Amino acid sequence: MFPEWTNMLHGWQWLVLGLVPLAIVALYFLKLKRQPLEVPSTYLWRKSIEDLHVNSLWQRLRRSLLLWLQLLLLLLIAMALLNPSWRATRLGGNRFIFVIDNSASMNAEDMVNAAGKATRLTVARQRVEQLMDAMRTGDAAMIISFSDTANVVKEFTTDQRDLRRALDGLQPTSRRTSFSGALRLAAGLANPGRIGNPEDEDEAAADALPAKMFVFSDFKLPEVADFSLGNLDPQLEMVGQPGSVNVGIVNFSTRRHPQRSDQVQALARLENFGPQPVTVTLELFLNGQSIDVQEARIPGEDAADPGQNFAQVAFTLDDVEAGVLRLVSDYPDALPVDDQAWAVVNPPRRTRVLFVSAGNTAFEQALRTSKSQELAEVRFAAPDILGREDYRREAAAGRYDLVIYDRCQPQEMPRCNTLWIGRLPMDGRWKFGNRIDLPQIIDTERTHPLMQLLDLGNLDILESLEVQPPAGGTMLIESQGGAIFALAPREGFEDAVLGFEFQSTDEEGKDYYNTNWPRRRSFPVFVQEVIHHLANSEGKRASAAVAPGQTYELHWPEGPDQLAITAPDGTRFTVRRNPQNRYSFSQTDQLGVYQVQDGQSSHRFAVNLFDPLESDIEPVAGEAVRIGNVQVAVSSKPQGQVARIEVWKLLALLGLGVLLLEWYIYNRRVYV
Amino acid sequence: MPAFCEGGWSAAASANRVGDFFGGKGGGKLSYGMATAETGLLSAQLLGQLERLELVSRKIYRGRMKGERRSPRRGQSVEFADFRNYVPGDDIRFVDWNTYARLDKLFLKLFLEEEDLHFYALIDASPSMDFGQPTKLQFAKQLAAALGFVGLARADRVRIETLGQAAEQPAPVLRGRRSLWRMLEYLEGIQPEERASLEEGVRNFCLRNSGQGIVVLISDLMDKGGYQSALRYLLAQRMDIYIIHVLSREEMDPGIQGELRLVDCEDAEVAEVTASAPLLARYRETLNAFLEGAREFCTRRGMSYVLAPNEVAIEEFVAQYLRRQGLVR
Repeated sequence: MFPEWTNMLHGWQWLVLGLVPLAIVALYFLKLKRQPLEVPSTYLWRKSIEDLHVNSLWQRLRRSLLLWLQLLLLLLIAMALLNPSWRATRLGGNRFIFVIDNSASMNAEDMVNAAGKATRLTVARQRVEQLMDAMRTGDAAMIISFSDTANVVKEFTTDQRDLRRALDGLQPTSRRTSFSGALRLAAGLANPGRIGNPEDEDEAAADALPAKMFVFSDFKLPEVADFSLGNLDPQLEMVGQPGSVNVGIVNFSTRRHPQRSDQVQALARLENFGPQPVTVTLELFLNGQSIDVQEARIPGEDAADPGQNFAQVAFTLDDVEAGVLRLVSDYPDALPVDDQAWAVVNPPRRTRVLFVSAGNTAFEQALRTSKSQELAEVRFAAPDILGREDYRREAAAGRYDLVIYDRCQPQEMPRCNTLWIGRLPMDGRWKFGNRIDLPQIIDTERTHPLMQLLDLGNLDILESLEVQPPAGGTMLIESQGGAIFALAPREGFEDAVLGFEFQSTDEEGKDYYNTNWPRRRSFPVFVQEVIHHLANSEGKRASAAVAPGQTYELHWPEGPDQLAITAPDGTRFTVRRNPQNRYSFSQTDQLGVYQVQDGQSSHRFAVNLFDPLESDIEPVAGEAVRIGNVQVAVSSKPQGQVARIEVWKLLALLGLGVLLLEWYIYNRRVYV
Repeated sequence: MPAFCEGGWSAAASANRVGDFFGGKGGGKLSYGMATAETGLLSAQLLGQLERLELVSRKIYRGRMKGERRSPRRGQSVEFADFRNYVPGDDIRFVDWNTYARLDKLFLKLFLEEEDLHFYALIDASPSMDFGQPTKLQFAKQLAAALGFVGLARADRVRIETLGQAAEQPAPVLRGRRSLWRMLEYLEGIQPEERASLEEGVRNFCLRNSGQGIVVLISDLMDKGGYQSALRYLLAQRMDIYIIHVLSREEMDPGIQGELRLVDCEDAEVAEVTASAPLLARYRETLNAFLEGAREFCTRRGMSYVLAPNEVAIEEFVAQYLRRQGLVR
């Protein structure tokens, strides 16, 4: 890298400067007019200098050492005046926060560095190192990594070696991306909170410490709303190669064949995040052995017709009681983490359902079918059971996986999932709205597993109450007068409320059917889904996909006090049962199959990425990321202010050194 | 002055007078490396010290006049030497009549002759001797005066010459204490202006003085033609030779610095030097080699070599240096 020169003198000034060396040489020769000194005899002097004349050339050079030193000094001065400098990145400020995305998409190997192909994270690390090189002594920096959570990799320190060590230790993850945590962490240091009276300016908790925040990411992240940058000065740097192509498995699940329980269907969904259609060969392994291969053609992304760039592949497996399925895509793309997916077929376990009703023939019949009995052990009871002690004990202990209250209410909420028909949970959070006569079903939440397979087009209901779920609830069926079926979470459980009854009693005490739903084909499917989803029978068998980093929760009322969980790499963890009869396991960073062991039996669950946002590795170059109300531009070039590293000071120092050396030599006469 | 001429003075009184006589001639010019400060050549104290000394020759020479030294000649001293047969013409006063009476043969009694010693001081009065404090020439004059006085006091024949002595103006031959004045006057008259080379001066000296005795050459030996040939001339005279090598402090330890043009005071030859620590070290090496060479040259040939730094007091030099060399005792 060649230095840039800045001319600091005019032409005539250079002319004067150019004359100086000539003057020095001239003065040097003039100076050689030696001072005469009369001595008794030059006899001994002659003899003395005769020896020195033997190597006179070198002597002459040495003798003119002062001349050379003076010329060197002049050269250094001239170079200092030319002000040579190098372009370099200089970081403004003295406090820096390096925020590095280490989510799954940062594993994409679409970058090129000196060593060849490199992942985005490697390049991001190198960029941070380059920025650290530009830090001056005394500058403090911290490192934050973020995926779905944010971690402080290194607190503020001025020790660059510490920072580099921490940076080297930064590992890639397979997690999803959430930017807001990292922003809040960084902001916590730049915008300290206040204590005391905020109107009293003297009581700030700490001085605000403005910091420059460098973010390295591919910025495939959700928008961050509700955030104020305050003292943070963000510099967003894109790490990623535009035009990167990736084909990813975004879903892979198994379910028992609806008709043949010995058959298991494995369903995969692949998405193509490139403009060209691709053909992918998918290979399915059961317990490590290849059992099926299929080819899938996936259309490319088309801006005119978005949402068509996927393909679904179904595998049907016979006689699979239990096992681990692994699906591998052979398409050579930049992101390997989404090229394989795991699914688990666990042996079925019957769940426990309590149906409390004063009489609901249709529902009872649906629960008594052999299919339902296969999935669940259903106990039927009259509402008077709710007052009994054994019920209370069982409900409080989580004996059941699901309790269905048909037109009745217990005195306290059971520790399990619930379905309420025509009544509200008594925790006070739910409300009934207006009474709706002849509600027309306008919309159903088809994405919810409970409603996925239901066609409610020909459903008639005489009357219903509008269901108003608490915050966080989901409307599953909406009519012209409001929701008539809704679902809401409660302390790790789910409560579903149907606003209409199946069998009602009129004023005269006669029962009548309030709806024709039991006569529709969707009804038994609905009951099946209730058992599947709310009683979690499917979840027990083939647990829903767990995303990396997400907490895996197992509800198991009669489970042991603790479970042993083995990660894909063989690491063993022990999980204790919590008061809700649940086991929570959050060390799900690795992709693959985790084995859960309770002594006698074992089952497995799979952790898969399954995030189209991560699989779509095409970076959002040239755009801006919205942080709160501010649009922050994303650059794809190294950040930091380009500064000139000027070396004239060094040259001047060197010149001073040469001057001192000359002075020393002149005085000490260390030369001949 | 009259008392001095009459010779009836005691040692102490004459020293004072000599001191008084020459004491007023001090003062002179001062310049870098050279000085002609003149002081009295001999102090009263030194004269008293010198009176007790005598010149020693390692050889026995025939003198010219009767003196205080043993001579190879048989003479008329009181000290018996030998008998020999009488031959006609011999002075019958020396016939040993007792032996004749006993042996009836005429024997002549021979006595040891006591004669004078010839002492020569040869001073290098070239301009190069006009350096130092006191100048080397001044030192040489003082030394010559001191040794001359020793000789005069012992009735020796003393002759002090310079290397450039003109043949038509020969140096006076001095004998006896009364010649001290003439000797000192002659020494005072010597100026550092002679241009004769060492070899030429010594050769002329040898031509003029064929006699035997002690010769003391006082010089800095800084002759570009070398001192060896000059000393060989002296050797040929079969004299008892002493070389007093006078060097000034400026020559032994030159404290010069910088870019200099050294000008030889005798032939105006120029040597350009950049005086620096290595050069000065090399000069000292050369000087030491020069001194060692001169010492070895002299010692091998039976000459006595004494290095005389000009700063050494003349009393100390005579009493210690020359005594150690055996020139005086």
